[in-house]
Amino acid sequence: MNLAAEAFSHVDYLVTVALFLIGAWILLTSGNLVKKVIGLNIMETSVFAFIVTTGMIDDGAPPLLAAGVEGPFASPLPHALVLTGIVVAVSVTSLALVLILRVKAELGSVELDEIASAGEQPGAAAPPDSRGHAND
Amino acid sequence: MNNRKSARVLTMALMAALAVPLTYGVLQLPTPGQADAPAHSNVSAKYIEAGAELAGSENLVTGVLLNFRALDTFGEVLVIFTAWLAVAAVAGGAREAGQDSIPPSPIVDYVIRLLGPFIAIFAVFVIVNGHVLPGGGFQGGVVLGAMLIMLSLVLGTGVVEGVFSDRVWIWLRAAGVLVFAMVALLGLPAAGFLFGLGQAPALRQALMMALELAIGVGGGAVLAGLYFSIAGTHRS
Amino acid sequence: MSPTDVLDLVLLALLLTCAIGIARLKDLAAAAILFSAYSFILCLVWAHRGAPDVAMTEAAVGAGITTVLFLTVISRVGRREK
Repeated sequence: MNLAAEAFSHVDYLVTVALFLIGAWILLTSGNLVKKVIGLNIMETSVFAFIVTTGMIDDGAPPLLAAGVEGPFASPLPHALVLTGIVVAVSVTSLALVLILRVKAELGSVELDEIASAGEQPGAAAPPDSRGHAND
Repeated sequence: MNNRKSARVLTMALMAALAVPLTYGVLQLPTPGQADAPAHSNVSAKYIEAGAELAGSENLVTGVLLNFRALDTFGEVLVIFTAWLAVAAVAGGAREAGQDSIPPSPIVDYVIRLLGPFIAIFAVFVIVNGHVLPGGGFQGGVVLGAMLIMLSLVLGTGVVEGVFSDRVWIWLRAAGVLVFAMVALLGLPAAGFLFGLGQAPALRQALMMALELAIGVGGGAVLAGLYFSIAGTHRS
Repeated sequence: MSPTDVLDLVLLALLLTCAIGIARLKDLAAAAILFSAYSFILCLVWAHRGAPDVAMTEAAVGAGITTVLFLTVISRVGRREK
């Protein structure tokens, strides 16, 4: 069938879409905050894979103009975009993780159910953390 | 729980609904790997054609990052520095330094102490050789940061952080942003626009090397700082 | 099919397996280690596609730094997801 042949030739892109949806599923249905951050990372890396794949050439060379290398070069522009993207991903992940640590310190749990029920009873959560004052 | 089950069914329906336009859009793209796709015919072809002299390095990715698209790289360095500022501000408070985790097994300890100096040399090699080999500023910077994190797993964050005083660490992390800003402003009188690296190839090479070293050192220090802030936070 | 095509398909299949495994695991430490494996296989995929710079960075950042951060946080907040 024509559709099957076309799907097979685009399998690189389709795997990227599948990874994006798996990451979105993990992000939306986990009850644990750390698991959500892992799902977010899977989504981010799937988009990077998509961008790099748009710049690839079958049997092409990496974009290095060393002496004696010829042949079609993979496009250097997606590589630069993805490098910036990886930096942003690690920044977002580290900020999310440190906020999770503070949530655990203030509310006593990182499960959404327990945080929600702790919020419904005012003052019944873990005692407020009085050690967290900035010392500067 | 009925609530959670219905939420899952709804999410599955949402994923299926998202899958349809994404798959359709992806199948409209040309087959990956063709050399005559539009992605290869416009801007990238011009960069590859311009060659090593105009880009300033044989590694075209470094050329794109530091010469053609230097403003994007400036933004990236700013982003990671701001992320470190935010993490340090949130984690601030009481910091517990020193050995606060389970000491690793003797094998891990020995291997990390053995490999540490070699990884440091490799990081510097990757940073400095960004012009001719795959690598460059940020690639070497992350290897440097990973090495600092690895050492602090074995020696404790207090020891690794105590190599420099707090002020020196802050200046190292800010080095990336500051050097970038200085090089950008230097281009203004020279060529009339920001990051005008000048026509002389020697000047261009020197400025790009300065940028690479700044990103390498700054990126490595910031990544190590992110780990120190997270690992040093008070146990709850 | 040439060997490089088979290698490509095997790597993509491993990627999907890792992602589905992460979705189904309840043990967070195991999910973090599986994420490290996912990141490393992604690095291999990119090296195969002519992107050595990106592969090097992803190996150091994804399989190294992000995984260590995850494991540090997981050791503080509890290992099993409820």
